[in-house]
Amino acid sequence: MLQWLYKLGSPRHFYDMTTTFVRWLAIVTFVLLGIGLVWGLMFAPPDYQMGDNFRIIYIHVPSAVGMIWIYAMMATMAAMHMIWNIKVADMVAKSSAVIGASFAAVCLVTGAIWGKPTWGTYWIWDAKLTSALIMFFVYVGVIALRSAFDSETSGSKAASVLTLVGVVNLPIVYYAAEWWQTLHQPSSDLGGRADGANPPEIWIPALFTGFGLIGLVFLVVIMRTRNEILWRERRASWVQELAVREVSHA
Amino acid sequence: MPDIQFDSLGDFLNMGGYAFYVWTAYLFTLVVLALNLLLPLRDRKRVLKLLKVRMQRDAAQSGQSGLKEGVEE
Repeated sequence: MLQWLYKLGSPRHFYDMTTTFVRWLAIVTFVLLGIGLVWGLMFAPPDYQMGDNFRIIYIHVPSAVGMIWIYAMMATMAAMHMIWNIKVADMVAKSSAVIGASFAAVCLVTGAIWGKPTWGTYWIWDAKLTSALIMFFVYVGVIALRSAFDSETSGSKAASVLTLVGVVNLPIVYYAAEWWQTLHQPSSDLGGRADGANPPEIWIPALFTGFGLIGLVFLVVIMRTRNEILWRERRASWVQELAVREVSHA
Repeated sequence: MPDIQFDSLGDFLNMGGYAFYVWTAYLFTLVVLALNLLLPLRDRKRVLKLLKVRMQRDAAQSGQSGLKEGVEE
């Protein structure tokens, strides 16, 4: 296991080990998302207060949770890159930023659209909403900062530092609704606790879209990291041989 | 498996009167996620093509310089 993890730190082994994995992951991801979306949009019973509008939950909640966990992953990778100077960790961190910003955007937009008919407004400076918006800006800042440097090493150092500073916001987004009860409600028991308000017909589709989106995150991060490996290892003979093989076939 | 909650396609598209909200939210999500999948696929093709072009250029250059050296000798 340790040896396997150690191997993942080598760009070439990361590339080789993900080649077939990425295809299987794509299939599993699309099946999970397909089931979750059809179930959530067509088969789940409407909410007794919000009617069919509640169906936004199947993308809003997983994207919000995803936005937070992608940040945790990106920060872990940034720390590993800073401490042990692992190149693959930096590439994964770089690859996480775009999908993280996308999830934050999806979370904010679907939340705003949901807010209009239920709260009567698209936006309000509530604690949870504001800290989520800050998280979106941190993601965008990390991407912009990295691309602002001509040197790859300076860019990744700066991005890692900003990523680690942004960790301060992580518990705030997570607990905002519990700490300050301004408007956004704390998470309801989608996990299906016995005393939870939501029956299985409601939360099971959310599990499908949730795991589907987790699959999608790993899919996108792995795809981007593989491209990054090809580019950064462009002088290695195995990459050059691969380029000759793949391009001539296309 | 529970039953379909809508009587017709029109009923489904109407989303109990919330069509604008539900479909805008889902459409935005779909577009963002599709872009996240398509961009790395495009980048992969670009990187591999660029690497091949560079290699061919380098090979051509080293071939030419080799020829010049031969002439000079």
